[in-house]
Amino acid sequence: MSLIRALSKELQARSDDSLRALFCARPDLISPGVPDFAALAARASGRVSVQRALERLNRPQMQVLETLHLCTNADTGHSASAAMLKKLINGSSMAAIERLLLSLQELALVHRAEPPHGVTSAAAKQRHYLPVGSLKDVIGIYPAGLGRSYTELVRLQPAFAQRVVQLVGELHRSGASVSPATTPMEAALSLQHWTATPESLQAILATAPDRTPALLARFGNWAMGAVPQAQRRASVVHESADVGPVDWLLARGLLVPLDAAHVELPHSVGVSLRGGFVIENFSLLPPVPHLGHTSAGLRRNAALGAIAETLRLVGEVLYAVRAQPLATLRSGGVGVREMRRLADSLRIDVHQAGVLAELCGMAGLLRLDVDSSAWVQPPQLEWLSLPRQEQWLWLVNAWLASERAPSLVGQPVNAAAPGAAGHRGPAGTTINALSAEAQRPDAPVVRRRVLEILHELTLEAAAPDGQAPVLDAAAVLERAEWAQPRMARRFSSLIRGLLMEAEMLGLIGSGALSQLGAAIAGEQPDAALGILGEHLPAALQHVLLQADLTAVAPGYLDPELSDRLLTMAAAEGQGPATIYRFSVASVRRALDAGQDAAAMLDFLRQHSATAIPQPLQYLIEDTAARHSRLRVGAAASFIQSDDEAALLDLLNAPAASGLGLVRIAPTVVISHAAPRDTAQALKGLGLSPVLEDAAAGVVRLRRTTPATGSGRPVYTAPRTAPPEADIDAQLAVLRNNEALAPGTAGGHPPAAAPGSEEATQLGLETLLKAIRLKQRVVMNVVDSMGNASRETVVPVAVNGGRVRVFDPDKEIERVLSIHRIIDVEATEELFQ
Amino acid sequence: MNDGPLIVQSDKTILLEVDHHLATEARHAIAAFAELERAPEHVHSYRLTPLGLWNARAAGLDAEKVLDTVLKYSRFPVPHSLLIDVEETMSRYGRLRLEKDPQHGLVMRTSDYPVLEEVSRAKKIAPLLGPRIDGETVVVHSSQRGQLKQLLLKIGWPAEDLAGYVDGTPHPIMLNETGWKLRPYQHLAAENFWAGGSGVVVLPCGAGKTLVGAAAMATSSTTTLILVTNTVSARQWKDELLKRTSLTEEEIGEYSGSVKEVRPVTIATYQVLTTKRGGLYPHLELVDGNDWGLIIYDEVHLLPAPIFRMTADLQARRRLGLTATLVREDGREGEVFSLIGPKRYDAPWKDIESQGYIAPADCVEVRVDLPRDERVAYAMAEDADKYRLCATSETKTRVVEELVAEHAGEQLLVIGQYIDQLDEIGERLNAPVIKGDTSVKERQRLFAAFRAGEVQTLVVSKVANFSIDLPEASVAIQVSGSFGSRQEEAQRLGRLLRPKKDGRAARFYSLVARDTLDQDFAAKRQRFLAEQGYAYRIMDAKDVGTTS
Repeated sequence: MSLIRALSKELQARSDDSLRALFCARPDLISPGVPDFAALAARASGRVSVQRALERLNRPQMQVLETLHLCTNADTGHSASAAMLKKLINGSSMAAIERLLLSLQELALVHRAEPPHGVTSAAAKQRHYLPVGSLKDVIGIYPAGLGRSYTELVRLQPAFAQRVVQLVGELHRSGASVSPATTPMEAALSLQHWTATPESLQAILATAPDRTPALLARFGNWAMGAVPQAQRRASVVHESADVGPVDWLLARGLLVPLDAAHVELPHSVGVSLRGGFVIENFSLLPPVPHLGHTSAGLRRNAALGAIAETLRLVGEVLYAVRAQPLATLRSGGVGVREMRRLADSLRIDVHQAGVLAELCGMAGLLRLDVDSSAWVQPPQLEWLSLPRQEQWLWLVNAWLASERAPSLVGQPVNAAAPGAAGHRGPAGTTINALSAEAQRPDAPVVRRRVLEILHELTLEAAAPDGQAPVLDAAAVLERAEWAQPRMARRFSSLIRGLLMEAEMLGLIGSGALSQLGAAIAGEQPDAALGILGEHLPAALQHVLLQADLTAVAPGYLDPELSDRLLTMAAAEGQGPATIYRFSVASVRRALDAGQDAAAMLDFLRQHSATAIPQPLQYLIEDTAARHSRLRVGAAASFIQSDDEAALLDLLNAPAASGLGLVRIAPTVVISHAAPRDTAQALKGLGLSPVLEDAAAGVVRLRRTTPATGSGRPVYTAPRTAPPEADIDAQLAVLRNNEALAPGTAGGHPPAAAPGSEEATQLGLETLLKAIRLKQRVVMNVVDSMGNASRETVVPVAVNGGRVRVFDPDKEIERVLSIHRIIDVEATEELFQ
Repeated sequence: MNDGPLIVQSDKTILLEVDHHLATEARHAIAAFAELERAPEHVHSYRLTPLGLWNARAAGLDAEKVLDTVLKYSRFPVPHSLLIDVEETMSRYGRLRLEKDPQHGLVMRTSDYPVLEEVSRAKKIAPLLGPRIDGETVVVHSSQRGQLKQLLLKIGWPAEDLAGYVDGTPHPIMLNETGWKLRPYQHLAAENFWAGGSGVVVLPCGAGKTLVGAAAMATSSTTTLILVTNTVSARQWKDELLKRTSLTEEEIGEYSGSVKEVRPVTIATYQVLTTKRGGLYPHLELVDGNDWGLIIYDEVHLLPAPIFRMTADLQARRRLGLTATLVREDGREGEVFSLIGPKRYDAPWKDIESQGYIAPADCVEVRVDLPRDERVAYAMAEDADKYRLCATSETKTRVVEELVAEHAGEQLLVIGQYIDQLDEIGERLNAPVIKGDTSVKERQRLFAAFRAGEVQTLVVSKVANFSIDLPEASVAIQVSGSFGSRQEEAQRLGRLLRPKKDGRAARFYSLVARDTLDQDFAAKRQRFLAEQGYAYRIMDAKDVGTTS
């Protein structure tokens, strides 16, 4: 029976709860919904879906699945039982394998099958399983890291096939216990026999050069390896005493050359090296990393310190960008020179500036202005007015959800992103901040997983009182490799950067997961807010003025106050406190910006915890006295009246407060509003103004950008399960259709509707099977004129939407597009 | 949240809020490993430097204690990277040790094999090392002890010198404490030095560094070489030693340009030792050829480069450095550390001041308006002449006269750089002028008269800047100075920081021509003095006489 049909039958027989669990674990099965169980089975057997499912398996599950794959044959229906797998998995127990097989069955990755012919009746009573059809394609050619068998290598590697007979002959003559052969296939079988048991391989290796075991150990996890001049002529005849390990192994066929630079360790050699097992090390429990400890106090100190610092620096980035937007390069991203400018103004290094700019970008605090091609701060940024703990949560949410990897900034383009985008720059160029190259679509998933793993490891580690376990990238990677071996490869390039970013955001402190990190990992952002709120001090409203012409803010200064201070003094230092230094130049800058000495001193007096030191007062007054007497300012309109009292009334009228009125002379008041608006407002106050020079003035219509919501990022963890309602709806559809066709439950499978997903999968499955077995199929094909024809052909290969077929009648090969094939029927012999 | 007085910045500075109730406690705790950088009225700032941390290590402080202190007093979370950095830096000191081996002589030992491998592969260090004895020990040529330490410090692996010292020729010296007593901090400084073997004692001007030297000599009781900056200073040392110790005139020799006596206690000037003739230093033999048990370096921060080279060869003798500041204008603090030794004692100025041993100073900047013709001359002058023009304005002379009149009856110094100006002021005030060409004898006579109160006003040029003891000067007026160097300011103020009998505050005036280069330099001076914690105010020349 077809594998898909077998799976379909099995799925149909499952309880609703079991299906529910399946949909939760593999949400792509019902998205979009499927009409019936056959389609569901087809979807579950699809390559992409299986691939996703495998990414979620842990190491023991994966090991059992790979072993099952190795000792079964879907084409012949040769299934395997837990007892058979146990023999191939070192250190396993029947119960454990049964349980794992059951879990795989629940995930619809394996299904029950008839026991193979010729097993004893006792063995036949055991449950036997087969994996889903596309598993072979997903797992690849090296399941469990083992190579292909000699027979397969002879079939697929013509160069080896040519040489193998001679090689076996030479071995035989040199006294090895390998039987001579006349055909490549025979030679392959005798090599296979020669290396079949660990004992025989040990005997062969007894005479190997010293470094051979070390070399073979490198093939322990993966059967293919790189070797210079892999196709060298190595022979046991005339072998010198100091032969190297590679030559020695090649001469005995223990390594098989694939091309000029690669060799493969054949299956039987690999299994024998593993002591006759497919899986050498099997454990149901994850490896327990050896972790150091740090004190809880240090952890909190580091986390809170990092948060305060990051928030301060983000604030400074925004301040710097407000003063001068970040220009972009023509090729995208912000160039190194521009980044260095930012770094200098923040007194930090370029890499840190890059990461900060990325953080601002992902949080929406910086936005690419299309007109000027520069990164600017969006108008009315809500972030600026939030309490600091909420600012932090905003950043954390944005970081969790972002598909960007800030730590890639500054790394070489090609090394960091081997994808299509990575090849754009010439060698030696580095990834620019806020450029497309730092885009990593899988970043949110990886971040989530890393946080979960950190949380897991922290909970597992039995840290002494007042201590917290220190987690490093190696420990996280090790756990990731156990928990999701097929996913772990994606971790390795991102993990170090992720941990660094998590440290910046205070999720990790002193190497340990902080309380905040634990709350975020446990999806309790409110708890995190609470913790942080307790520990972040409120903003200061005062500074300390000193005679050395500095103002020291002993802590986090109110942003408004700090902005104002920055207009008249330059910031110094790096850390929780800021030192503002007054100088002639800085005071002049403030005067240039329109402040006067009295206002400055007033402001300082208001916000100083101490009296203004005499030298500072002297500095401001002296500088102001020499400052230019002409003053230029901006006003959108002016109001002139000889009636001074009327102007004073106007200034005090609450209704006119929106005009931003400033009295610059007894009879002149300026307004920030346009002449028309000012006039309108004055009319509303019962005054009748004359609009001067209205015709000459150019009324410029400015494009106003509508306020676009709050922009606050809302983070939802990457969805792992579909919503309950979807599952219910899907179950209803499935059961309903089942009821409509009650006959199908146990009897003949219904014919798949042409064009349905199921039909395609079935057709493809038939084709692939026929290709493997080199058998004929009957196809209904439509030609370009729309004429249907029925053809009997032998399919050769399926690739890229086309099928290569051999037409036995005409004795020619043809290529057919898959979309022209209506259906595929196997000829009778295929079903035998 | 903690409510400590410290704020630890990520740029490795530590801010101390002075008015906090724990400030004193915290100040004492961090003084051991952080260098005080600025001490204005409300917030002092300290800096963590590798040298400071290694000094602390040498004094027996470990990283854990330092981190504990920082965390204990910090108001906000301490940047984690800084904690790691401190720990790592401190762990570097002492991983290499210079020791005396009974069999092989001077050896360098380590408990950390890779470090020894690393340093012995450094290009400059390899030639200084002899054969390897075992994995962790290597022979050092004893003549290279100093140079090795210097180079090791440069590559960041300072060695702890445990190789001990030669005894030197014994010579009995005792303190003669009749009518005075060694102050507690002087006692502590001498003790710390002796326990550490070699090193530097940092005390502010006027805090009695000479007595620390005398106390060290008494503990050592061996022949002693004292290196000082100039002849006047040499005479002062001699007088002080005669007064405070059992030493007699015959036991103390002077080795300077004019006299070359070698006695059990010899006082030599840096200048004579660094005199070069035909590519050689003829007087270096004084140092090498005698079996000194103790060498004292006065004003270590002024130690000239040849003396450093010479000191590198003297590592087997006990060395005591005395200074008011470890800050060197040439940035060679590291050489002082490796060649003379780590800091053994340091007292913040303010602490000693508040104990009443030195008088607080009141700094006043008087801004003088240049008359129109001088302003024109200034505007048209070449850049090279500008400073001289504004610094020697005639208006200043008039203001000096007014100030002198205001402080009539007080001991008063006028300090300046330009001889013409000083001569003119001397003439107008009818006061003696001490300048470069004044003979040593005459200088001593005038200083003695000033001390005795016979002369009330002295006009002195740059020569008087260093190491001359002028007690009881309560007012100083600086009319011009060379480019506002930090050193000079500290020294000039040092002149006034002597304890007054009646506890009056010393007054330090500096006259500054408004809107000129002079004012730019004054800005630097103002910053430095304010950072040192002095009261500083500015007044206008026309207000002179209206307030006091």
